[in-house]
Amino acid sequence: MKKLALGLAAAMSLAFAGGANAQAYPTKPVTMIVPFAAGGPTDIIARIVGDHMSKTLGQQIVIENVAGAGGTTGITRALTAAPDGYTIAMGHLGTFSAAPATYPGLKYDPFAGMQAIGLAGGTPILIVARKTLEAPDLKAFVAAVKANPDKFNEAHAGLGSVSWTTCTLLKGQLGVPKLNAVAYRGTGPALNDLVSGQIDFMCDQIVSVAEQVKAGTIKAYAIASEKRSPALPNVPTTTEAGLPDYQIEAWNGIAAPKGIPKEAVDKLVDALNKALNDEGTQKRLLDLGTVIPTAAERTPDGFAALIKRDAAKLDPALKAAPK
Amino acid sequence: MSLNQIERAQGLRIRSSQDMAAGLFMILLAGLALVLSSDLPLGTLRQIGPGMLPKSFAVICAALGLMLCLASLRFNGEKLAGWSWRGVIFVLGGAILFGLTIRGFDLGPIKVPQLGLVVSGPLVVLVAGCAAEDVKWKELIIFAVVMTTFCALLFKYALSLPIPLAPWLLGI
Amino acid sequence: MDVFANLGLGFATVWKIVWWAPGFLQGAFAIPLPMNILLCFVGCLVGTLIGVLPGVGPIATIAMLLPITFGLDPVGALIMLAGIYYGAQYGGSTTAILVNIPGEATSVVTTLDGHQMAKQGRAGVALGTAALGSFFAGCVATVVIAALGAPLTKLALLFGPAEYFSLMVMGLCFAVVLARGSILKAFCMIMLGLLLSTVGTDLETGQERMTFGFAPLADGIDFAVLAMGVFGFAEVLRNLENPEARDVVRTKIGRLLPDWSDIKQSINPVLRGTTIGAILGILPGNGAVLGPFASYTVEKKIAKDPSRFGKGAIEGVAGPESANNAGAQTAFIPLLTLGIPPNAVMALMVGAMTIHGIIPGPQVMTKNPDLFWGLIVSMWIGNLMLLVINLPLIGLWVKLLQVPYRLMFPAILIFCCIGIYSVNNQPVDVAFTAMFGLFGYILIKLGFEPAPMLLGFVLGKLMEEKLRQALIISRGSFWTFVERPISAGLLLVAVAVLAIALLPSINKKRDEVFTE
Repeated sequence: MKKLALGLAAAMSLAFAGGANAQAYPTKPVTMIVPFAAGGPTDIIARIVGDHMSKTLGQQIVIENVAGAGGTTGITRALTAAPDGYTIAMGHLGTFSAAPATYPGLKYDPFAGMQAIGLAGGTPILIVARKTLEAPDLKAFVAAVKANPDKFNEAHAGLGSVSWTTCTLLKGQLGVPKLNAVAYRGTGPALNDLVSGQIDFMCDQIVSVAEQVKAGTIKAYAIASEKRSPALPNVPTTTEAGLPDYQIEAWNGIAAPKGIPKEAVDKLVDALNKALNDEGTQKRLLDLGTVIPTAAERTPDGFAALIKRDAAKLDPALKAAPK
Repeated sequence: MSLNQIERAQGLRIRSSQDMAAGLFMILLAGLALVLSSDLPLGTLRQIGPGMLPKSFAVICAALGLMLCLASLRFNGEKLAGWSWRGVIFVLGGAILFGLTIRGFDLGPIKVPQLGLVVSGPLVVLVAGCAAEDVKWKELIIFAVVMTTFCALLFKYALSLPIPLAPWLLGI
Repeated sequence: MDVFANLGLGFATVWKIVWWAPGFLQGAFAIPLPMNILLCFVGCLVGTLIGVLPGVGPIATIAMLLPITFGLDPVGALIMLAGIYYGAQYGGSTTAILVNIPGEATSVVTTLDGHQMAKQGRAGVALGTAALGSFFAGCVATVVIAALGAPLTKLALLFGPAEYFSLMVMGLCFAVVLARGSILKAFCMIMLGLLLSTVGTDLETGQERMTFGFAPLADGIDFAVLAMGVFGFAEVLRNLENPEARDVVRTKIGRLLPDWSDIKQSINPVLRGTTIGAILGILPGNGAVLGPFASYTVEKKIAKDPSRFGKGAIEGVAGPESANNAGAQTAFIPLLTLGIPPNAVMALMVGAMTIHGIIPGPQVMTKNPDLFWGLIVSMWIGNLMLLVINLPLIGLWVKLLQVPYRLMFPAILIFCCIGIYSVNNQPVDVAFTAMFGLFGYILIKLGFEPAPMLLGFVLGKLMEEKLRQALIISRGSFWTFVERPISAGLLLVAVAVLAIALLPSINKKRDEVFTE
């Protein structure tokens, strides 16, 4: 009863004072917009991290799924909300680094027009192929694709998706930007046709494909990160397999509208760090094949730098992609 | 049902105003779709473009509409029935008001703050309730309050969906 | 004998007793609870509730409940979430029958005859038939998963883009049979549905199509928005126009449960519906959507008097409802045996499993046998629970019909508004639904039936996607649809269905050419 009265009093004072008292942040639940449908990799990470962040903040973090247009609908809503710290967003590689080059009419600026909070997790990308494809390893596969690009079909989960973005980067680096791309509505159906051998290869997050690789229904050529993944220790890195330039991670990170109070930024960064240091949360994220971000990446500056770095990396390939 | 047979029919007059209107409606919608999709490339068979299917569907819609119109000249059918504005205005208006107020709205000069379910709920019940010819105000007002409370408990608390209740008053 | 050992493991898992030591007792003693059974019950109850509420679907609810399941063990969590899913399929028919609002694509068909039955004072019989048919279908489908799950997986892998395209074409030919009146008008509605399905951002090129540059339309028209507009809102407008018709519904209350003659009439449709639904449910890419439509088509075609359909034929409820539930259950096969989710709800189940550290894949059955078999057994128990929950509720639902319409429709409206809002948390969707309500009202006035349009809309998106995929893979050759045997077979069925639908009318007198 006391709590309720206090909450009511706080809410009333808030309503009358007309603005949030920075000292008291947060006095009400914080909305975290996830720009994708519930149950996807971004949503799961948001729920796992948000669950622990709520404990630190002392207020519930409410997840709101606003799906649409490759995630840009939800991010647009989050970044145009009032900069009071009560609306934040969980975006990913696509919505923050790739979107400016993918969507010409983008209504937000992920570089100068938003307040980065920090990285929540990185998910390695795998190059996977149907198990009947002749090429035994990445080198042979790359050679075959370069020699005869018209013989191959690539699958992706729609323009702007992680699989599309990362595969476009791969095709750009291999010099075959126009290779046949088959669009699916989501990773699931694409994976189904890869397992049944209708299409030849795709790039996707480790969490979606790892079990299929383990079961031998599809084969993995390489993992596009610096280290091998403990989930798939037999899959070589792109550096080991002879394609060192192809380094990309499908990370997820939190951002807020530009101009939110410093107090709110600090508290959110602190809550994120505490969540990522928590053993239970870490275990959940590791189970997903997620890489826990380094201390530097969990800060606003580190995250903003990461967004810019990947944007620069993706830009040429995305601009050259047939749309 | 070729054209010849239809023209052979004695005299050209509209034998089913409903079918005639239906045909014209289809042609109108098809025309709208064709205009809207005019700048979309057709693509090739090998790589079908974004415009291929919308345009084909629109053309087929127009053709079917034309057949309906012609059929209405040949076959007897139903007449166009009357139209009730009362229901359209209050029922649909109520729903639109709900959409405008639940999270607030900002379109040029018109600004509506985020009012939440506490306001939007009674609003939709009261406005829509006007559509009934036998509206009883006292009953409707009580019903609006009861329904809103029930919905708030059900959706917000039992199902914990993120619906704003009254951000301006309660902060949630 | 393996199956029995496995089912035994499943039963043991479901009946597992958990010693629950509540915090407020401070460890004084623990209470033995059959936790998984309780979770199954909670899931079924919540599922029924959200199924009945228009708009609020299993997707939103499961997403909201995901964090709550963090504290549970994975088997219990999945049993509960699965209960919500098939419970919602059960509950969805209630709204379709009582107020003509299909909560999901699969209950569109139920509105056709189910709501007509309600209008004739047979709401109780319709609800009872739906519940009993669904229960039977659920039980059969569970046995199918247990006994044939693994071998049937191969069926899913036989279907490539070309086969799916042909399947969709076949589905559209079914829609012609759905029509109650003019076949020409049914064609119009199918094409209009297909046209509406192309609205939104193009998957391949990202170009916006027919969106008026309006951002909320960028992802196309939501099914719930369209269905609730042209069915729910338009029905309210239609009822407000004829006060006499709706008061008849109110005063005539018939039997609450189907009697022996109803059951005899429903047995064969239920058997056929279960078979059709179970087969289509296995196909990934949401083949389950076609189940109820296919079942309805079959029932109407083999009926002695097809003109009864659309006017409250009990077969039109029994068959499709069984197909719906059988499909909902067998849709778990691709998820459990391949690790590939066939629809949005199953994708969410993948999410739920992932959160609990079980990454779905082809090895779930061998690596987590207690999860696999526990889930299957829980489905059977869940279906029994749903019957126990739903049969007594029928009386309550039928009583709700006695509420004066002047209060009933504002209540329908507020539920619809909140429901639509919660689908995407987009207030604009509510305004769109109102617009589609007007659109649906116009369609009624022009003598069009909205059901074929909804089928066209649902199949349109898949059809375009699969057509484009198939043609890219075949490098632009249409022969791919004929060369592949399964695809060719499906197209043959499509032609046959169309011929059966059109031929009788060709022999009739000219004035009747366009009516069935």
